[in-house]
Amino acid sequence: MATTFKNFLSNDLANTRTLLHEAIPVTGTIVSGTYSDNNIKEYGHGMFQSVYDYPYLSSSANQIFDVTFGLANNSSLSASTTNQIAKKCNIYNQMAQTLVGYDQTGSIKKFTDSNGNEIRDALFVNFARLLTKDEIKKGSFSLMALTGGVINALSLSHPLTITDTSGANGYRVDSPAGEYGYLYAGDRGLIEVGQLYYQAGIAVLSGGLVYGSAGGAPVYCEYGGPDSHTAASTAATASFQSVATGSSLNVMADGFRTRLHNVSFNNTTELNSTIYFCRVNHNDFNYSSNPTYLTGSKIRVKTRASDAPVTYITTIGLYSADNELLAVAKLSEPLRKSADTELTLRVRLDY
Amino acid sequence: MAFLDNSGDIILDAVLTDTGRMRMAKGDGSFKIVKFALGDDEINYELYSKDHASGSAYYDLDVMQTPILEAFTDNAASMKSKLISIPRTNILYLPVLKLNEVFDSSTARHSSGYFLVAVDSDSETDLANTDGGDSFTGALYGESPTGNGNRIRIDQGLDTSEISPARALDPLLVETQYMVEIDNRLGSIVSGDGTRASISYVDDDNIATYFLSLGTDTELISEITNTSADTSMTISGPRGTKLVFKVQSSLELNTSDYFFTTLGYTEDIANTVSGAGGASYKQIKTTIRVTGVNTGYRIDIPVRFVKKA
Repeated sequence: MATTFKNFLSNDLANTRTLLHEAIPVTGTIVSGTYSDNNIKEYGHGMFQSVYDYPYLSSSANQIFDVTFGLANNSSLSASTTNQIAKKCNIYNQMAQTLVGYDQTGSIKKFTDSNGNEIRDALFVNFARLLTKDEIKKGSFSLMALTGGVINALSLSHPLTITDTSGANGYRVDSPAGEYGYLYAGDRGLIEVGQLYYQAGIAVLSGGLVYGSAGGAPVYCEYGGPDSHTAASTAATASFQSVATGSSLNVMADGFRTRLHNVSFNNTTELNSTIYFCRVNHNDFNYSSNPTYLTGSKIRVKTRASDAPVTYITTIGLYSADNELLAVAKLSEPLRKSADTELTLRVRLDY
Repeated sequence: MAFLDNSGDIILDAVLTDTGRMRMAKGDGSFKIVKFALGDDEINYELYSKDHASGSAYYDLDVMQTPILEAFTDNAASMKSKLISIPRTNILYLPVLKLNEVFDSSTARHSSGYFLVAVDSDSETDLANTDGGDSFTGALYGESPTGNGNRIRIDQGLDTSEISPARALDPLLVETQYMVEIDNRLGSIVSGDGTRASISYVDDDNIATYFLSLGTDTELISEITNTSADTSMTISGPRGTKLVFKVQSSLELNTSDYFFTTLGYTEDIANTVSGAGGASYKQIKTTIRVTGVNTGYRIDIPVRFVKKA
């Protein structure tokens, strides 16, 4: 009997997993400058600020990342904070809940550095899934900030470059939000400045990092609030303290954006594929139901019955048992099929 | 859809169809690929020049240069013509499906080129017995399908005068199963006695698919026993099977004008009971697609669902 279908056998299917990477560059002029902040969305609740790649009222704008700031309730800054203290604590707790988790008593754990010191004031940069896809590729993250002046307190040159330099082979797995690596700054010896959560697409930066002194010179500010600063100058401490306690989250986000030089990383998309090997034997698919194949029921490509039939494949249809077309694949050019040829067409479906 | 880049190596552009995605979203196990078929939708075999003066290498030169479109995600828009596997390679004739409008006046289309399906009793009454035939030519009764004898008949076989119809069609080429597709919002397939056929599935575009088999759906499919060359046969050569069915209109068309408003238009139909000048009818144009499951050949039957305005 004539037939138009061929069943797959068990060895005609294979499953594979592939990681795809894209380079994602974000230039600082987009984050502040190019669009006169029309691409910066602020909300009535004032808890975070969203950065778009185009004025956000346009339908072609895409969200790039959000910026916000959090204070731990045991930070020495908490007591003196007058502006949005509750929201700053809520942000910290929410991010800690999600990224660090709970201890054995059910209390929210604090962010800590690689030595176990608590990070009690943190700037959060939450990258959109549109950019990070399944995860940020480990070891590919780079953030450049602080474009002016020398960071004297730590003898760091500008712009300050922050990387997850240890990410590719030194990441951690004890977060409920997946894997994370430590962020380091500087080109004269690396100084730890935060964490990068790869699957969550969130950078946690030490809060004082991006805020300058009263004189405008950018400085570096260490973990744990002013009471545990180890590397910042007194002026820097004072400046950061005044910003964190007296400024709103939107103002703090502005401070980060205007000091940002650029960000780049590679994202990762995990492709799970099923490969269907469509094996076409010599006696398969040698005739066509194409209306132009016949003229008066006579096969157009033959003169005599003994001539070899020939067809041209352009499409592969993958079907369910009840003959529903579930997937379709097109060849870029017609493929000649005759009784003296056999083919294996490899169709890959990605999920 | 754009054309695929054919400047380099052969590439495959594969996508899930909308139905495939719908079944995957259901998560009920209905997304399972178990077989494949090959198609040649873009190919025009008229370009195959088997008398090319430069020799056989040039026979399919134009065919091979055919640009190929990207894959359509609409499941109904792809794989319109399938390739067929037949063990023998010495076949010169292949069977076709053909609308038999010459069997008698009850199988003919309306003069507009469509079969008309009257969706309610008012329309049935108006499309009756005024043109001199047994009933209004090409008008099927959609509310009461047994109310007249009109029907759609499709014959299968070798439509060639070079082989006598007295010869039996090669069993390899006899179609034993038909797939009928119709917009499920508009109507359904019924047999001559008004029995509704079983729907195999309805896809995401509301296209209902019926699989009808010889020996199982005896009211719908049977072998053509006429082996003479008389004028009631549309297939000139050896004949296989015939599919005969009627169309019942949906309850929505029967009771509501919604689809007529959104999908249709209003036009007069002449020579009805209302008068030679005709009456105004709300109409929806659609197509019923019939495909031979084994032989792959398919035809589209033009149908209008009509309701007296």
